[in-house]
Amino acid sequence: MTQLLLLAVINGLIVGAFYALMAIGLSLIMSLSDVINFAHGGFLAVGAYLAYSMAPYLGFWGGLIVAPILTALLGLLVERFLISRVYGRDPLYSLLLTFGLAFIFEDVTRYIWGAQSLPYQVPGWLMAPLSLDLFFLTGYRVFMIALIVLVVGALFWVMTRTRLGLRIRAGTLDLETVSVLGVNVRVLRNLNFGIGIFLAGLAGVLAAGQLGLTPTIGSSLIMQSFVAIIIGGLGSLTGTLLGGLLIGLAMNVTAVFLPSATEAVIYVMMALVLLVRPQGLLGEEGRF
Amino acid sequence: MTNDGNSVRFDRRTLLKAGAALGALPLAAPFVQVARAADTIKIGVDNPLTGTYAALGKNEATGMAMAVDEINAKGGILGRKVELAIEDSTSGDAGVAVQKARKLIDRDQVSFIIGNINSALAQAIANVANEKGVIHVVPGGHTDSITGQNCHWNVFRVCNTTQTEANAVAGSVIKSAGKKWYYLTPDYAFGHTLQAGMESAAAKLGGTKVGADLTPLGTTDFSSYLIKAQAANPDAIIILQQGDDGVNVLKQAVQFGLDKKFHLAGAQLELEVLLGLPPEARVGTWVFEWYWNQPNVTGLKEFVAETRKRTGGHVPTARTWFGYASIHTCALAAAQANSLDAVKMAKALQGFKLPPEIALMPDGAYYRAGQNQLIPNLYVGHPQAQGKDDPEDLFVVDQVVKGDDVSPTLEETMCKQDWPA
Repeated sequence: MTQLLLLAVINGLIVGAFYALMAIGLSLIMSLSDVINFAHGGFLAVGAYLAYSMAPYLGFWGGLIVAPILTALLGLLVERFLISRVYGRDPLYSLLLTFGLAFIFEDVTRYIWGAQSLPYQVPGWLMAPLSLDLFFLTGYRVFMIALIVLVVGALFWVMTRTRLGLRIRAGTLDLETVSVLGVNVRVLRNLNFGIGIFLAGLAGVLAAGQLGLTPTIGSSLIMQSFVAIIIGGLGSLTGTLLGGLLIGLAMNVTAVFLPSATEAVIYVMMALVLLVRPQGLLGEEGRF
Repeated sequence: MTNDGNSVRFDRRTLLKAGAALGALPLAAPFVQVARAADTIKIGVDNPLTGTYAALGKNEATGMAMAVDEINAKGGILGRKVELAIEDSTSGDAGVAVQKARKLIDRDQVSFIIGNINSALAQAIANVANEKGVIHVVPGGHTDSITGQNCHWNVFRVCNTTQTEANAVAGSVIKSAGKKWYYLTPDYAFGHTLQAGMESAAAKLGGTKVGADLTPLGTTDFSSYLIKAQAANPDAIIILQQGDDGVNVLKQAVQFGLDKKFHLAGAQLELEVLLGLPPEARVGTWVFEWYWNQPNVTGLKEFVAETRKRTGGHVPTARTWFGYASIHTCALAAAQANSLDAVKMAKALQGFKLPPEIALMPDGAYYRAGQNQLIPNLYVGHPQAQGKDDPEDLFVVDQVVKGDDVSPTLEETMCKQDWPA
């Protein structure tokens, strides 16, 4: 039992890191643009399917780099021409807009690539387990974690060390003042949205290596990121990271004792956090 | 909520409401409706077009359309043209499925209703159809109760019961793997009855359960369950997930190398799942309910060719055939009874044997009297990584099982039909 628990903890952190990657993109957009991006899962699916279609030409590695970039470009366009038009209005507008986009993304992917799930192949040498005892540590999962650490590390570096990051963080706190100080808020929000969608696209390609590619791949993964943000606290990237890891852990430890409750447990956690510390574990007081 | 001009801050309530709405996302779905003339006979289809079962639903729809065209080419039902009225039941919302069933029956005045892939939805539709006295054909929802404890005189089922599938495959798994089984079971009606079926089939042959996990429907990460299964050290890991869940669990089990340590097996496997898997994950011992590549079956070549024509070269799956056989069942019932009266048609189908060009299997298929369950052939075998002559020939049939040999007896099904006086 102890060994099983230990394995569940390690595995939970791996799974949690993946949820965190998705949630951080969603959280970035939520914090600066005040848009709850329902279409995030749709962008994730687009990233995954683009990588699938490019695989014959660019291989796995090419797809891993190019697909998230293309997804981010699509994100920039969607922000520029659709989402930016509802900034400053009642949040209901952006909710309805991204809600509709989520449907459109799912149906368009189904139309283009079909409803039948498709196999997405990662290089064979990445697939093998690294050791017999820790058989769930496949090369692919280790690679996934390394990449997530790298990307999230780079994101934190951008946020704390560069002018763009400084402005995004400042905008998250007080967009009006940032705007008055001469920062082009429109461009800032556009770039920020693009970064968020890049992370969604990357999460999509990584997910495709482990799951079958289906038009619903985004909607099946998006709830976890949403819960991770609420648990971690809005406006705090560290909080979102923590939230993602926590739900991964909770789901895996629950699987040891009460497997059928793995899905329910994250909502119980969310409810508890909302009762005890409504702003989330690391969320700013007063943001809500 | 405060509005400070440039930016609007939403409050926590909005965020939570948004979350609730996000959870409802897969439930809301547009519906499709076919316009029709007044003198046609309408068959209502209440089956998934969106969500987890969209791919299966699409394949059933292809089979249904083929059957309608064949029937109309031969003069329709009782001389009247047949049309489908198609609704999206969603993949998991029984409320929507029931609402669509009522709409089809009350407003569209359909003479038959077809659905559903999801067992729970199929049972819900069956109850509505029974209340309204309309013939209902279930193409592909497998849970036992539909033609068992909750059977109705007007409800017919094309696909097998979970117990039948379990009985068909259990012996092969014990022979090839061993007697200690660990179950990974999807946590809904279908999974529960399939596991119960496998347990009782295994018990008769000396098999035992060393562990079991219920996994929520729509689980994407199965690693935690696979870790537990490995720790229990079984002879075989019995994988009962279907659709996308089935793809995910098999893909991950093979990535973890579990196919090399244990035997991976299960009951029902579908071509749709095999097509979604990378070649190395096409492993195990399973049962197929219908297969397109069988020798010496009347009409099969034509059926495969026609499906290829309609789907851009793809072969029919069991789902295509389920849809096809369901619609033909309606037409045959009317022809047999020479009437559209539901009771007369239901009586005409008792013990009715499908014509060979519709049954499309070596020993044919018939509706068992008193239960309304189709008793067909089943195909026990193993997948192959790559098709030899056709990229979609992914299953090797080791044994064709007769439905009569593996179906529970009428008493065992506990079906008691309550016919109208």
